[in-house]
Amino acid sequence: MPALTLEHVNKKFGHATNEVTVLTDVNFEAEAGQVSLVIGPSGSGKSTFLTIAGGIQTPTAGEVRVENQSLDQLAGKARDAMRLNKIGFILQAYNLIPYLSVKDQFALVDRVKPQGNLTPAELAKLLDQLGIANLTNQYPGELSGGQTQRVAIARALYQNPDIILADEPTAALDSDRVKVVGQLLHDLAKQHHKAIVVVTHDLRLQEFADKTYAIMDGKMTLA
Amino acid sequence: MFLALKEIRHEKLRYGLIVGMVVLVSYLVFVLSGLAYGLAQQNTQAISSWDAQKIAVTSDANDSLSQSLITKQTAQQMTLTKDEAYIGQAGVVAKAKGQPKLSAQFLGINASQFIYQKLSVTSGHKPTAANQILVDDSFKDNGYHLGDKVSLGATSGKYQIVGFTHNAKMSVAPVIYGTLGTWRTLSHVTSDFKAGGIVSTRSNFTAKNSALKTLTMNQFINKLPGYSAQNTTFTFMIAFLMVIAMVVIAVFLYILTMQKLPNYAVLRAQGIPAKVLVSTTISQALLLVVGGLIIGAALTAATVFALPAGLPMSFNLPLLAGVTGGILLTGVVGALIPVRIILHVDPVSVIGG
Repeated sequence: MPALTLEHVNKKFGHATNEVTVLTDVNFEAEAGQVSLVIGPSGSGKSTFLTIAGGIQTPTAGEVRVENQSLDQLAGKARDAMRLNKIGFILQAYNLIPYLSVKDQFALVDRVKPQGNLTPAELAKLLDQLGIANLTNQYPGELSGGQTQRVAIARALYQNPDIILADEPTAALDSDRVKVVGQLLHDLAKQHHKAIVVVTHDLRLQEFADKTYAIMDGKMTLA
Repeated sequence: MFLALKEIRHEKLRYGLIVGMVVLVSYLVFVLSGLAYGLAQQNTQAISSWDAQKIAVTSDANDSLSQSLITKQTAQQMTLTKDEAYIGQAGVVAKAKGQPKLSAQFLGINASQFIYQKLSVTSGHKPTAANQILVDDSFKDNGYHLGDKVSLGATSGKYQIVGFTHNAKMSVAPVIYGTLGTWRTLSHVTSDFKAGGIVSTRSNFTAKNSALKTLTMNQFINKLPGYSAQNTTFTFMIAFLMVIAMVVIAVFLYILTMQKLPNYAVLRAQGIPAKVLVSTTISQALLLVVGGLIIGAALTAATVFALPAGLPMSFNLPLLAGVTGGILLTGVVGALIPVRIILHVDPVSVIGG
């Protein structure tokens, strides 16, 4: 059973003459234990695909299933709970809360989801792998772009989701860090049986992917 | 609460300014309420000390004790119990040698009746002779002493201060207690007049005499010269201040919440339930307002100590509770206005395209 399935998904914005089609008949599957890469240029519909896959937006047509549960059948609160428990987002703009220190970003997750998160030892190992173990008392405003992005990755992984949706997770990283993040995502998929979906235009991540999809003008193809 | 506290700790200047604004608003409202209540108290302190429920004055006195004159004939038709007392009021200017002139209200009372018996003396003793008077402590504050011989108004007699009493003011003037005989002298009336009015501690007291009109003490107090006008002015000032303060605080909290929407969008994208964000917003507003109220109350207390003793400032617990509750409510309303926006914040807005 795929962890995440999109079937015949279409997404349109606007009406009549202002109507814009962003996704056209997208079919996609992400398996647990695999890294799926969605590569496309800016404006190709990558982020819209990601928001629909994560239940943040609803498709105009088609169906999205998370572990065989159709998102159409979930009301607002159930969808929030699904996102909190099953899906971890690594967002393009890092999107850490500016007034929470690095350790408090994780403490917030503990408060809304007390169980099922990484253990302190697992978190320490993760922070060490990402090279941010010494930054736990820093605030996002005190971090460099690369450090912020790695904290955002750790934040998404902390809640130990089954599916990780990453939007340009390596945009601000140098090649060495790209390899670290790529390897980390790959290891998470293999060792922890996670379904990892990465939308990016960073081809350096291809070597860590099990499947690569190309997206162009809203149409997705398996590369 | 976690997010609320963390944000306040991190954004000290921003939240400090908001707390500062609540402090100033609450300080202003507290001080103004204190002054209004203090002034109201100075109109009625003496009356309140009698614990009276009713007062009877002559029908043609326009509900004013100082204008009321009960004849002996009318008095003889009345049967007073231990719960009733005669009283006469006259406005006087008190003067003793070497002391400043003080405008005062002279109250003539009968030593065998309840007003005299209820008088509490802070120093000296109650009057026992016609030429003795008991005066409010503010005489002491103005340099008067026990034993001073005081002239009252244009009369030739001298009256000796034999005691001081606390919180005895009427129509914002200190009260001088003496005999009904002295009242007659000061009012320039003959012994054909018994008193100005009859005060009763019974709520069912009614003067059954066509020459007399019975009022509740509240009706009587509201008819004191200037009392209603002054209270209405203060009430409107405080009400307008409260409304303006409510709007200002609510607007500030609204702006504050709107500035946080991008962060809320991130949290929503991460699956943080909307109720957590709403409770964070409300608890943060309450923290800020409660903090401001506590500091405002402390500043008010400091002001009370710093102000001169003669300034009429007094606090009433129900009034303070009402004002505090109003400001707290303001904070909650200010935080609640953007709740609909928080509930509909779009997580898509934080995911790039």
